[in-house]
Amino acid sequence: MFGEKAIELVRELDRIGDGQLPAFNEDGIRQVLEEMKALYEQNQSDVNEAKSEGASELIPTIKFRHCCLLRNQRCIAAYLYDRLLRVRALRWEYGSVLPTSVRFHMSAEELEWFNQYKKSLATYMRSLGGEEGLDITQDMKPPKSLYIEVRCVKDHGEFEIDDGTIILLKKNSQHFLPRWKCEHLIRQGVLEHVLS
Amino acid sequence: VSVMSDVLSEASEGSGDDSQELMTPAELIEKLEEAWLNEKFSPELLENKSEIVECVMEQLTHMEENLQRVKKGDLKASIHRMEIDRIRYVLSSYLRSRLQKIEKYFPHVLKKEKSRADGDPSYLSPEEFAFAKEYMANTETYLKNVALRHMPPNLQTVDFAKCVPEPSLDSFVFLRVKVQQENILVEPETDDQSEYAVDLEVGSQHLMRYRTIAPLVSNGAVQLI
Amino acid sequence: MATQSYTPVPPGVGMEDNFLSLDDILLSQEKLPCRTETAFPRLGFLEKSGDTGDIQEGTKMEMPLWLAKGLYDSKRRVVAVDLPKVYREGWRTVFGADPNVVDLHKMGPYYYGLGSQLLHFDSPENPDIAQTVLQTFVRRFRRIMDSSQNAYNEDTSALVEKLDCMERSLFRSGQAGLHDFQRWEKGQSSQMTASSLVQNYRKRKFAELEA
Repeated sequence: MFGEKAIELVRELDRIGDGQLPAFNEDGIRQVLEEMKALYEQNQSDVNEAKSEGASELIPTIKFRHCCLLRNQRCIAAYLYDRLLRVRALRWEYGSVLPTSVRFHMSAEELEWFNQYKKSLATYMRSLGGEEGLDITQDMKPPKSLYIEVRCVKDHGEFEIDDGTIILLKKNSQHFLPRWKCEHLIRQGVLEHVLS
Repeated sequence: VSVMSDVLSEASEGSGDDSQELMTPAELIEKLEEAWLNEKFSPELLENKSEIVECVMEQLTHMEENLQRVKKGDLKASIHRMEIDRIRYVLSSYLRSRLQKIEKYFPHVLKKEKSRADGDPSYLSPEEFAFAKEYMANTETYLKNVALRHMPPNLQTVDFAKCVPEPSLDSFVFLRVKVQQENILVEPETDDQSEYAVDLEVGSQHLMRYRTIAPLVSNGAVQLI
Repeated sequence: MATQSYTPVPPGVGMEDNFLSLDDILLSQEKLPCRTETAFPRLGFLEKSGDTGDIQEGTKMEMPLWLAKGLYDSKRRVVAVDLPKVYREGWRTVFGADPNVVDLHKMGPYYYGLGSQLLHFDSPENPDIAQTVLQTFVRRFRRIMDSSQNAYNEDTSALVEKLDCMERSLFRSGQAGLHDFQRWEKGQSSQMTASSLVQNYRKRKFAELEA
């Protein structure tokens, strides 16, 4: 049946249901586009034949192929759109700089979309209130305390806190730090929030 | 607090709206919390509350400035800082819910905003409107470049307004009544039921379809919880 | 666990079909027994027994829901759609007796979704199908809700195995709610954690290194 390659693209994303981004399947997309090209060309020639020779018995076949074309279009659109939603999540989970291992799974155009999204979001956040704006990718949970106990999961180097104090984030070291300075590092897996 | 009142009175003078009464900081935060909970629990994007957002941002800035003047280690300082953190959380969470809905429903949100009659309240703040337009253009360009332009001529567009689902107004929400309501018509849930009317007493709590009470959320008669 | 930042396009409710929903696309791949009511010239190669170049009128073949829906035309005779077994009278009686014993995953896994989509095709049995699908859901729902709200750190695989896709997602959201509540009770809900995306990518990176 037609549309088999297209449904394969959708299954590929469905198998990874938690929002992770598998490698962009350029070859899969190309194959679906090829099937579409063939279907379209066959339909064009059958349409001409139906018109010029009055071969109306071809109409069901033309409709059949058209359904397959629409199906392929839908699967590709849904594949690409769902991936964008996953790419969008990366901005919120990782911040604006993506690790190479993640970028590796993105197409050049997805990276472009990501950069534009990042820019739109930054413009929006800068527009909020005063000169500096408001970073709404922070404060994901209601604050319970000003300072929190954190453990360093990996070496991160020097880190400046509010009052200009610089501390060294060394693997396995434990610190008592202002909560709102730590949030991004915790999400990125550099620090671990230790509950007392 | 006196600084705050000044700020707030300046803000309301600036808007040139005489009907807007002066709010105390406590009232302002209450308004923010109401807007936040409504936005968090309503399936659709609500009218923007830009004035509240601006006032709260100004209040935060002032509180930060005041905090600089307080001596380090002062107990007052940590209480103030905690207060700042809490307000900032509510504000961020509110703006986040809005942005999420704008992204999720962008074709519909934009359509609604563009077809709005002059004088009707705007759903999007100017900044949100700009964001939504960029989001749509970015996504359209992306789909076009990667796939659609390589497709047969009659399949090179997708109608986002048809493809992207609309908010489900039939979903159920919890609410608390703030202003007494009489004869609210409730649609039947099953074939053997018929439409019936309910009265909503002040302070009572209900679980209802959002569609039924959407106008009451927007005019402030009920609070989503 | 899924991240909050990624919310996929949800499947349509009832007879709706969301164009961009992966779930709805997978559902519409389900096969339906069909009979062609017209010939489809030059497409014979799609049908195994077709040695002529055409799909003949009156050919019985399985079609995915998306194709049957696209071809179906209540005014013109193009294709007739037959009911899959689980929606026929025999099975409807079984569901009527006790829907809780049925393995809806094996019979589905899109029992409710496909049942609702079948209503797009004119059939005198439609009211009965709709009624059975609805009642099946109503009668199975309590058990799904109870177990999703009560099974904490228990093995629920035996139950979940037999759930339809939509039931599974209900079960999962019930469990997620229960877990959030337990975390809140233990005072853990304020704990900030690494993004599950970050954690998983890192795991994968290690896995790649080890491989």
